[in-house]
Amino acid sequence: MNNIASSVLDANTGWIILSVFSLVWIFLGWYWGRKVKKLDDFMLAGRNVGMSLGIATAMATWVTSNTTMAAPQLALQLGIWGMLGYSLGSVGLMLFAPLAKRIRQLMPNGYTSGDFIRLRYGVTAWRVFLIISLFYGIGWLISLGMAGGVLINALTGIDYRLGMTVILAICVTYTLLGGLRAVIGTDFIQTIIILVGVVTLAWLAIDKIGFEPMHAAVLEERPELLNLLMPAAIMFLFNNLLFGVGEIFHSNVWWSRAFAFREGVGFKAYMTAGIFWMPIPIVAGFIALATPALNLNIPAADMVGPMVAAKLLGFGGAILVFIVVFSALASSLDSLLAATSDLVLQDIYRGHFYPQASKEQLRKAARWIVLFLGVITWLLCLPRLTTLASLLYFTGAFVASTIWPILAGLYLKRASSTGATVAMLSGTCIGLWSYFAIGFYVAALVSAVISMSVVLISLWLKPEHFEWAKLNEKTQQEIA
Amino acid sequence: MIVSSGFLSVMVSVALTITIIAPVILIFLWIKDWIKGQLW
Repeated sequence: MNNIASSVLDANTGWIILSVFSLVWIFLGWYWGRKVKKLDDFMLAGRNVGMSLGIATAMATWVTSNTTMAAPQLALQLGIWGMLGYSLGSVGLMLFAPLAKRIRQLMPNGYTSGDFIRLRYGVTAWRVFLIISLFYGIGWLISLGMAGGVLINALTGIDYRLGMTVILAICVTYTLLGGLRAVIGTDFIQTIIILVGVVTLAWLAIDKIGFEPMHAAVLEERPELLNLLMPAAIMFLFNNLLFGVGEIFHSNVWWSRAFAFREGVGFKAYMTAGIFWMPIPIVAGFIALATPALNLNIPAADMVGPMVAAKLLGFGGAILVFIVVFSALASSLDSLLAATSDLVLQDIYRGHFYPQASKEQLRKAARWIVLFLGVITWLLCLPRLTTLASLLYFTGAFVASTIWPILAGLYLKRASSTGATVAMLSGTCIGLWSYFAIGFYVAALVSAVISMSVVLISLWLKPEHFEWAKLNEKTQQEIA
Repeated sequence: MIVSSGFLSVMVSVALTITIIAPVILIFLWIKDWIKGQLW
């Protein structure tokens, strides 16, 4: 450690910042929650979200603490391609733009991504998808909860468990109060804070060190970080691209927004969010390349971002990075809590146990489910299981297997239930094998290739003929 | 194939420029939506 102890915030400052932001987010959650009267208000913010809030919520949700903490980590481990590869995560947002438009058109009364799989492919594929989606959702929640604890511990010395508990409690509280309205409203403010924060940090890093000295120091100590032909990094690039696409295509976080945006907003909001998101991992990640120039000894790779900021900018830098990562963390944690609770509510509680539940009963159950998920996440975060990036990429094998079944299901009438089910199962299993046998950077890639092959073969061997009107459940019920 | 400091500076500068413009556009759009009563 290179004089880090003198650069980090003291615990009292940490508690003051946490308290101020907690009060603001909880107040806003309560304020926007006052207008939540119906199930659609809580789950989908009234299905009428406009352009500015639409772009901001897509951006804020995709800028996680993993972006602001793992982007520097990946720059330190994989160099230039680490940053560029991470920034390709934005391709998922842009590719989802036409899907969001089609989802809104085909399913104007839909609630979750699970609804789509159930109506499009039937019960077996739906259950396989739910296992994948819930595993991913819980995995991402743990990753975010752990990131919160790590950040607070690294910057303030507050115990990991205590910091993680506080951040989870804040997000659970305001999501409970305001549902998706609170999530989307706070996302806008958090997006502005994140953007201003990462720009300030990068700007000051350039000003204090400069590109030339930074480049020269990396070239001397870690030249492989500047090598465009670093094999593992190139694999990472494609893996991250597919991981991002898989995460967004399958996750109810993005589907719930497609349902929540006003008609005509989805395509533009996702496309613009993708363009604005793309440079963020580069801006946030490149400060890790300052490590050799600063002669910093990094004890754990996932702490490189906060440590460089604290070293470069001292007390102010530590405060800034704390606020940025706290905002990034909250904006993703709340979205994931809301979307995963929607999935549990609609697809597990209603779909499997209580199909006759009224909307009022579901609205009440939604809050209990948010609370339940918060407690489960807290319990699983208590032991710090693995590094942030490793945990994040473990789920890559799962999510990438869903890309082709979803894409084919939305656009091709011939896509079959059997093909989708086998594609998700085989992609996940072989992707997981490659994670352990080869490395974290190929899991999503292998999973997507296997899944695509199965979908293509099934289109050829066993095509079905699907009627798009079946996806509009309300119309179907009216016909019945 | 090692990248030059010029490549690094251009890459980061382009990324910084977009990241500076983004919040300005978002606030502009928010004001526009708010005036039209179309926030949500």
